[in-house]
Amino acid sequence: MNAHTRIRDIGRNGQALLSPVSLSDLAPLPAPYDGPDDQPAWKELTPAARAAMVCNLDGVVAAGLPHPRDEVEERAYVDRFVAGLRKLLDADANWTFLQPLTLSLEYCVRCQSCSEACPVFMASGQNEIYRPTYRSEVWRRLVAEHARPGGRFTAWLTDGHVELNWTTITRLYELCYRCTLCRRCAQACPIGIDNGLITHELRKLFSQELGWAPRELHEKGTVLQLEVGSSTGMNVVVVKDNMEFIDEDVSEETGLEVHSPWDREGADVLLIHNAGEILAWPENPAAFAILLDAAGIDWTLSSDDIGYDGVNYGLFYDDVQLARIALRHAETARKLKVRKMVMGECGHQHKALMTIADRILVGPMNVPRESCMALLEDIVFSGKIEFDPSKNDFPVTLHDPCNIVRNLGIVEPQRRILRHLCPQFREMTPHGVDNYCCGGGSGFAVMSGNNFADWRISVAGRVKFRQILDAFADQPGPEVKKYLCAPCSNCKGQFRDMFQYYGVLEKSGITYGGLVELIVNAMVDVKEPFIEWEMH
Amino acid sequence: MQGALLLPLVYGLLGLFALGFAFRSVRLARMPVHLRWELAPVPHEKGKAAYGGSYFEELDWWTKPREKSLLSELAYMGQEILFLKALHEQNRSLWWVSFPFHLGFYLLIGAGGLLVMAEGLGLAGWARAGTGAWAVAPLALAAIGHGLGLVGTLGLLAKRGGDPHLRAYSTPESFLNLILALAVFATGAAAVATPGFIAELRGAGLAVLTADAGAALPTALAAHVLAVAVFLGWLPYSRMMHFVAKYFTYHQVRWDDEPMRAGSALEREMELQLQRPVSWSAAHIGGDGKRSWASVATEEKSS
Repeated sequence: MNAHTRIRDIGRNGQALLSPVSLSDLAPLPAPYDGPDDQPAWKELTPAARAAMVCNLDGVVAAGLPHPRDEVEERAYVDRFVAGLRKLLDADANWTFLQPLTLSLEYCVRCQSCSEACPVFMASGQNEIYRPTYRSEVWRRLVAEHARPGGRFTAWLTDGHVELNWTTITRLYELCYRCTLCRRCAQACPIGIDNGLITHELRKLFSQELGWAPRELHEKGTVLQLEVGSSTGMNVVVVKDNMEFIDEDVSEETGLEVHSPWDREGADVLLIHNAGEILAWPENPAAFAILLDAAGIDWTLSSDDIGYDGVNYGLFYDDVQLARIALRHAETARKLKVRKMVMGECGHQHKALMTIADRILVGPMNVPRESCMALLEDIVFSGKIEFDPSKNDFPVTLHDPCNIVRNLGIVEPQRRILRHLCPQFREMTPHGVDNYCCGGGSGFAVMSGNNFADWRISVAGRVKFRQILDAFADQPGPEVKKYLCAPCSNCKGQFRDMFQYYGVLEKSGITYGGLVELIVNAMVDVKEPFIEWEMH
Repeated sequence: MQGALLLPLVYGLLGLFALGFAFRSVRLARMPVHLRWELAPVPHEKGKAAYGGSYFEELDWWTKPREKSLLSELAYMGQEILFLKALHEQNRSLWWVSFPFHLGFYLLIGAGGLLVMAEGLGLAGWARAGTGAWAVAPLALAAIGHGLGLVGTLGLLAKRGGDPHLRAYSTPESFLNLILALAVFATGAAAVATPGFIAELRGAGLAVLTADAGAALPTALAAHVLAVAVFLGWLPYSRMMHFVAKYFTYHQVRWDDEPMRAGSALEREMELQLQRPVSWSAAHIGGDGKRSWASVATEEKSS
């Protein structure tokens, strides 16, 4: 990395990398991941890829932005960027976040108290461009000079100068995808400035004004979901087939009669999974079905519209896409006349539907929404199901998904369950609302193009990986099977990739899974172990 | 003669202060209700704030009464305002200079408050106002306040200038703010050291209140009055207004966890927001500056 990268450098020397990320700079990992050969080499970008895409930030490509055809197109994008800067500060265009954004624009006193709270900045060896305030300061300077009255003198006095050109906006765009929006920095700020929010708003500017967003979040994310029903690409026929298969499979394995109900009008609970669970971790929806049936809950899944996929990637980059998806989720529940919607084990689904979209769900769209954590706690302690905690007598630690814990304050229900059912449960340090992001937040878990997966695992997930290893430091070897409980689909996607990347199951004996699998594993009526010690 | 020069300046600068303070505060307060963006821990969550929990931990949370603790919120705010708790936890080396800087201001405000109170009690006929402890306390607070402020400001200047990470993100305004504060504390320290400071300060206050252009002040005090006026005149146009912003960042963003309720004022407010026009021009948005958010968000398909 460049040790002295300055804020104004973002608009200069556009043919070179602004501050390359280097493996040798990364924070060290403990044994057995500390040797020179234990860090897998990063995927090289081919000359053809470099020729096709903008790669001018750190040598990593998340967004895959094509080069402009000519200077006219370059200029047009820069002009649209300026228009977007102004719209971010306009009450009609951005009423959704105008007040918090203005506060973060105008009142940061530049004390850098947030820097060390950022796992990306710290894991990278303090690469300056990953400092939470770096992109915020670039944005403040651009706003001061191009979107506010006062002219260059005022901008110089209060903020400073950066050149506004193609290099600046493309680097800033890519840099928006080097922050997981975990908001640890916001929590650390004495004033309440939120660099995560600034990143979120910049992503919105690029999407809503320039039409720029990573393919995985937009075309293959929200657009696909709105068109087909799910960002996985599953339409309703496929998802019903898959669930039927899961029901048959789990019935055969457990000896219990499992049948996931669909479209039961007037049910007490509409359960909405992240549909990725159905494809990648079918044991999760299966475990939900076992538990809800065993507890006698009146529940249903929905095959209406997008009602079978709780994903809402709009949360990460685009308010309009967020609203479109959230409204259709709510409409599904309204039509089914259910008493409440329950979020499956998916963090961003929790945040999107329970808080961010809460205020746009007016009138009949305001169907009550609840976390599965609260429902699961009620089931476990209801006495309706018999548990044997000795079936979970192996080391277990808990990952706190940022969207469920730091953003929604759902901290204890999952812990009360784990303390009750897992004799060897231990916390990470720090945990709860002070947790570290898995590194897959803000959509990163589904973004693996070019060499981004290498960065996402090696840099964004590095602090979390260390935390996991430290939590099991008393039994580090593979001979002791250990379980990382990660009650969030995107977090599990990150851990799947991370564990495969480093060979964690083989070297350390750690697997990962959700909360509901651990609960079912402890059920007396489930004779065979529900948790399988394999990579999945 | 001195008063004739000083008074218009002081009035002008105080006017700038009032104008800027009111404009920026009201502007923030009148911004549209935004989407929820709370951040745990939320201290008013009764019985849960200590670990960062919220009402979402409850089964059927919408059927239960909200249990909010104003006391917890006040306790949090008190620690934050008086002791800069978050800075103490997150950035200890900066806290060692920032805390005396802020405490210096608090003590000066306290000294000013005592003086005004004594004056009021005196006017009400309480003979002991302005004597004994009433005379010593403001002087002591002012002396300590200016001393701490000086130490803090010099420390902050040294940190801003000497720490490469802070320097890289500092702007001319960052240094200007500190230099103006330094002027307040330095002139104040010099004025406090002048014999009869409190009586002279009282005279200066009365001169400002009564527009007495003939009042003559000791040089140190005149310099202090000017420094304070310049500082106040600039304050609302600078990032030093963060003490006002902090109310909004905490109460209207981090701790704003008010859920949507059917028939509530919030619901009516949001229905109005959803009628605002959408002007974002990316193809998939379909904003033309006329269609409302409600219309754009409920269209059948997007591309």
